[in-house]
Amino acid sequence: MEKEEALVKKIKGKFNFLEGECKVARIRRIWIEITKDKIMEFIKYMKNDLGFNFLCTITGLDCIEYYQVIYHFANDDGIIINLKLNVPKDNPKIESIIGIFEGSIFYERELKDMLGIEVIGLPQGRRYPLPDDWPIDQHPLRKEWKPSGSPAVKEA
Amino acid sequence: MAKIVIPVGPQHPALKEPANFTLLLEGERVAASNVALGYNHRGVEKACEERTYIQDMYLLERICGICSHSHVTCFIQAVEEIAGLEVPKRAQYIRTLIAELERIHSHFLWLGVAGHELGFDTLFMYSWRDREVVMDILAMLTGNRVNYGMNTIGGVRRDFTKEQFEQISRAVDILEERTKYYIQIALTETTLLARLKDVGKLSKEDAIRFGATGPTARAAGVNKDVRRDDPYAAYSELEFNVITDDNADVFGRTIVRVKELMESYKIIRQIIKQIPDGPITVKAPRKIPAGEAISRYEAPRGEDVHFVKANGTDKPDRVKVRAPTLANLAAITHMINGGYLADVPIVIAAIDPCFSCTDRMLVTDVKTGDEKLFDWQGLRNYSINWYKERNIDFSKIKL
Amino acid sequence: MFKKLINWARIKSPWIIHFNTGACNACDIEILAALTPKFDLERFGILLKGTQRHADVLVCSGPVTLQTRDRLKRIYDQMAEPKFVVAVGSCASSGGVFKGCYNVSGGIDSVIPVNAYIPGCPVRPEAIIDGVVKLLNSLKN
Repeated sequence: MEKEEALVKKIKGKFNFLEGECKVARIRRIWIEITKDKIMEFIKYMKNDLGFNFLCTITGLDCIEYYQVIYHFANDDGIIINLKLNVPKDNPKIESIIGIFEGSIFYERELKDMLGIEVIGLPQGRRYPLPDDWPIDQHPLRKEWKPSGSPAVKEA
Repeated sequence: MAKIVIPVGPQHPALKEPANFTLLLEGERVAASNVALGYNHRGVEKACEERTYIQDMYLLERICGICSHSHVTCFIQAVEEIAGLEVPKRAQYIRTLIAELERIHSHFLWLGVAGHELGFDTLFMYSWRDREVVMDILAMLTGNRVNYGMNTIGGVRRDFTKEQFEQISRAVDILEERTKYYIQIALTETTLLARLKDVGKLSKEDAIRFGATGPTARAAGVNKDVRRDDPYAAYSELEFNVITDDNADVFGRTIVRVKELMESYKIIRQIIKQIPDGPITVKAPRKIPAGEAISRYEAPRGEDVHFVKANGTDKPDRVKVRAPTLANLAAITHMINGGYLADVPIVIAAIDPCFSCTDRMLVTDVKTGDEKLFDWQGLRNYSINWYKERNIDFSKIKL
Repeated sequence: MFKKLINWARIKSPWIIHFNTGACNACDIEILAALTPKFDLERFGILLKGTQRHADVLVCSGPVTLQTRDRLKRIYDQMAEPKFVVAVGSCASSGGVFKGCYNVSGGIDSVIPVNAYIPGCPVRPEAIIDGVVKLLNSLKN
C-alpha cells in the first residue's frame, strides 16, 4: 500500500488539519473527512497536484443528525479518495464543484432533488431525477420520507 | 440563418428509452443542445433501504436489462468488503466468466442497434442472430437469458461442469469467426465509414474533462479500464489488452467495441483453462456489520460505481448506484454540437445509452412560430434520407 | 360479412406499436429479438410500426413510472378501435420487483385496460410469440 500511504503523507503535509482525518481502508481506498471551509481548496489540490482527475460520483446520505455528502474521486492508478463532508440539517447548503469538475452536474442535481441539499452555483436547468410535477418539498432519500407520501402510490 | 429549437426525446429503437434533448439548430447543424433526464427513475435506491441485502440483489439486477450481472456483482463486492468476506477463487472466476459473456452480448446488441440507427438493417439482423449464440449459452448456464441470479453474498449460486465449459468454448470459436468478419466490415465498408468517421467527435482532453468512461472514453485515447486499474473478481490473474483508439469519434467507438469482443474471447478461454477447483461460496452473515465501501466494475458501457453503507442490520443503510451512461451523458451535448442534425441518432447511440423512456420532439421554427411534432423514428428517417440524398445508402449493401 | 373480412385481415396481419413505460429494457430487447431471424415474428404477418395511429396492438413493457403515465394514456387514446393491449413482462403485469416504489404506478392495467398478460422477467421471445398468437386466436370470435 505504498502509493496510498505516500499520498496520505503528502496530503497531511500540505493540510495539517487533516491529521487524524485520513484513513487508508485497504489497497486503493482512502477516506478523508473534511469541513466546508476547506473543501474547495482541497479538491483543487487533489485534481491539479495529485492527479485525481476523475469524479466517480457524489453520494448524499441522511445520517439522521446531519446530512453527509461523499465525493468519490479516482486517479489513473485506480486509487479512490472518498471525501466526506457533513452538512447540518438546519442549513443544508454546499458549494457546487462544477467549476472544477464539469461532469458533476447530474450528481449535484440529484442531491437537491433527493435530499433537499441546496447546491450553490449550480446552473439553471431541469430537475433530475424526479419528474417535473413532483412536489418541491418531497425528498425521497430523507430517512423520514415514506413511499406513502408519493403521488404514484397515492393514486394507485 | 433561421434558428430552430428541437426538443428530441430519443426513442432508442432497441431500448425505447426516453431522455429529452433540446437542440438549437442553425440550418442543418446543431448549434447548442441540452439534455434532461429522469424518465426512467423508479426509486431503486430508496427501495434498497427497505429490503434485505438478498432482496436487493434481485432488485438491482433489474436496473438494466443488459448489464444486470454488472450491477449485482458491483453491489455484492461492496457488501462483501464491508463484511470482510473472502470470496473463493472459483466463484471469482465464475463471476468473471458471466461478466465477459455479458459484455459480448451487450456489444453485439450495440452493433445491431447502431446498424439500425444508420438504416443498415442487414447488420442489425446479422449481429442479433449472432448474439443468440451467447444468449443460448447464458440460458444454458444460468437458466435465463438476462437477470441470471448467479450471485449470492459470499460467492455464486451455481457451479459449472466440464461439458458446459466445452460448450462455451465451441460458442466462443464461432463468435470469434463472426467478429473477425464484423471488424473487417467496420474497417473497409465505405458507406459505414462515411457515416461514422468524424462524427460525434470527443477529444481526449474533453473526455477527461467531462468524466466520460468505457468505450466512449477509450475511443478518444483515454487509457482507462477498471478491470486493469482497480481489478476485481478474477481479473488480476488474467491477461488481456485494454483497447484504445485515437479516432475520438463514433468510428473509434465502433472499433473499440468490436476489438473488445476479441479480448473477451481471450479472457473466457483463459478462464476455462485456469479456473481452480474449490468451493463456490463462503458462509455470509445475514446481518452485515456497520461499515461502508465503494465498488467499481467495468460494465460493457463503462465504469459502474456502487457505494454501500451498512448499519449492522439485514438491510442496507444506503445504496448508491452510478451507472456508466450517466457519466457519459455529460459529454453528449459536446459531441452533438457543431455536427449535423442527421448525425444525432448515431452519436447518441454510440455512447450505448442505457436510460429509458420515450418522448417526443417538438420542432419550433423561431421565425414563423410554427410547431411540428417529431418522434425518434421521424428523426431517424430524416437522418437516413438526408444521407441517401448524398449517395450514402445502406439499403443496397449485401452482407 | 364485411366485419368478418376486417377481422380476418386483422388476425392475419396485426400491426404493433411498442411502448416502454420505464422498464429496464430486458423485455424490450426480447420483443425486438422476436423480430430477428431466429424467432421471426414477421412470419405471422406482425409488423412493428412507428406510430400508434396505424397500430392494432399496443405492446407495453415497464412498471409505468410517473413521467410515462400521461404519455401511455395518450398513446392508447390515439389508437383507432378495435385496439388491444398486451402487457409484456412481470413489471407490466403487476409492477414486478418495483411494486411499491415511489415513482411507479404498478402494472399497465393501472392506467389502461389490458387484453393479454405475458409474464416473465424478462419474457422469452418464444413466450412473446405465444402470447400474441393466443391474443390473435381469441380475436377470431
